[in-house]
Amino acid sequence: MTAAIQTTALTKTYGEARALDAMDLTVPEGSVFGFLGANGAGKTTTLRLLTGLARPTSGSVQVLGRDVATAGNAVRSEIGFLPDVPGFYDWMTAPELMRFAGGLFGIGRTVLEARVEMLLDLAGLTGVATTVGGFSRGMKQRLGVAQSLVNAPRLLLLDEPTSALDPMGRKDVLEMIASLRGRTTVFFSTHILADVERVCDTVAILDRGRVVAHAPIDELKARYGAQKVVVEVTDGADELAEEIGRRTWAGAVARKSTAGNGGNGSSGPIEVTVTDVEAAQREIPALVAARGLGLIRMDAGEMGLEEVFVELVGGDRR
Amino acid sequence: MSGNVVFARKEALEILRTWRIWVLPGILLFFAATGPVLARYTPEIVSAFAPDQLGGFQIPTPTYLDAYAQWVKNLSQIALFALIIIYAGLVSGESKSGTAVLVLTKPVSRSAFVVVKSAVHTLFYAVVLVLGTLLTWGLTAVAFHTAPGSPLWSSALVSLVLGELFIAVMTLLSVLIGSSAGAAGAGLGAYALLSIAGMWKPLARYSPAGLGNDATALAAGTPTDVLWPVVTAFALMVALVAIAAALYRRKDL
Repeated sequence: MTAAIQTTALTKTYGEARALDAMDLTVPEGSVFGFLGANGAGKTTTLRLLTGLARPTSGSVQVLGRDVATAGNAVRSEIGFLPDVPGFYDWMTAPELMRFAGGLFGIGRTVLEARVEMLLDLAGLTGVATTVGGFSRGMKQRLGVAQSLVNAPRLLLLDEPTSALDPMGRKDVLEMIASLRGRTTVFFSTHILADVERVCDTVAILDRGRVVAHAPIDELKARYGAQKVVVEVTDGADELAEEIGRRTWAGAVARKSTAGNGGNGSSGPIEVTVTDVEAAQREIPALVAARGLGLIRMDAGEMGLEEVFVELVGGDRR
Repeated sequence: MSGNVVFARKEALEILRTWRIWVLPGILLFFAATGPVLARYTPEIVSAFAPDQLGGFQIPTPTYLDAYAQWVKNLSQIALFALIIIYAGLVSGESKSGTAVLVLTKPVSRSAFVVVKSAVHTLFYAVVLVLGTLLTWGLTAVAFHTAPGSPLWSSALVSLVLGELFIAVMTLLSVLIGSSAGAAGAGLGAYALLSIAGMWKPLARYSPAGLGNDATALAAGTPTDVLWPVVTAFALMVALVAIAAALYRRKDL
């Protein structure tokens, strides 16, 4: 499969600050790609480099097989872009803005009118007569999504597309993104993990300008899911959690409260992130037995994307 | 229709549908309307407000040339200040508001973005200046019963070249300086420099620095050779906008 986006050792510095640090990234054509990262991880910088709005300090960016630095209009005519805070001409109405955006692509009048009508309907802006200056943040975001699709792009780049939307607007945008699967490559940056889990098939996690994980979403969850053990005992869970936390194979130890435990912390499952699953499976039952506790259950828990994310980038922020 | 034409049409519509349609035309047409009237009635106005302070001084009888001189002086001073302030954010304003990102992630080159903006506003200023000159011409004819076209139009056209040069200067400054206030300050500095340069005769003779004085001389009915100042002003305009486009191409947005 060809790559819609390919970056090689992509680096961007602002003075002393390194926003992107030799980032290698491949986005397969046709995928719905989630680009995850905490605020300040380098997501927006990456999108600015992909769209040619900023120039890399070093490294290269290929979009749809062309070098962004030299391809100019050839790349721009095939992409759609929604920035994190979209800027519009406040004096235009939504249909005028859409016609303007389509006109910049040289789309013929008949096709353009049909697309404008369809996309405004999709954005829930049909019949809105006020100028964009009077729009709410959510309306602007939906208009931003609509204008990014006006050229039926081969590659759609969305920077935090759902961040300003209410739950219904968010649902609509996510459904729209999901509906593009197989027709358009969608590259979508966000820090909302639930959105990525819902619509993306592949994900990259960015931390301090570096890609720390890059895989199909199921593979990523499976890879990290095998490294979590959940233990539930009849009582004395706090002491057991403490004891487990002292083991060399134990990473983060978390207590999950359960209904009816009275909040005394003596029961409820213990979640342990482990570096050596086999050692954990051998030693935890021994620890439970040595304390004379009753073992209710012990299993490998499946990590959600949120936990994978925290595990990968949370490190010293916990 | 090409993206550049669509963008130019947007720029023109933006003039018609925002404050831009009121400010520059408002300023110029106000002075175009008041100049001939003030020139005609200056002796009466001065006598009415300060009858005792004139002593034996006799104010000369005003002529149509006074009205022309007033118009050209306003074009060389107030109109240029207005252009400097209005166009201080010509490019940086779009970068700041995010609308440059909207346009430049579509098939419009950065060079076209800068050149089209500069060209549309150059044309807009030309239209406003011609309308203002027509108004002054008409009112001068009414006030003085005579208004030969040649001194007025030749001086107005030279003033137009000076104004267009300042639009090019502000195009470059609005690319170089992100803050509108900063670009306006630099523009006023450029105005001061050009005024000082105009005092040195050899420079005034062969460069745009002479345009202001030449316009004044033409408005007074004095034949003046403006070829070199006009040609060098056009060359400088093209160079300034080309530099602005080249710098904007390298800028991170």
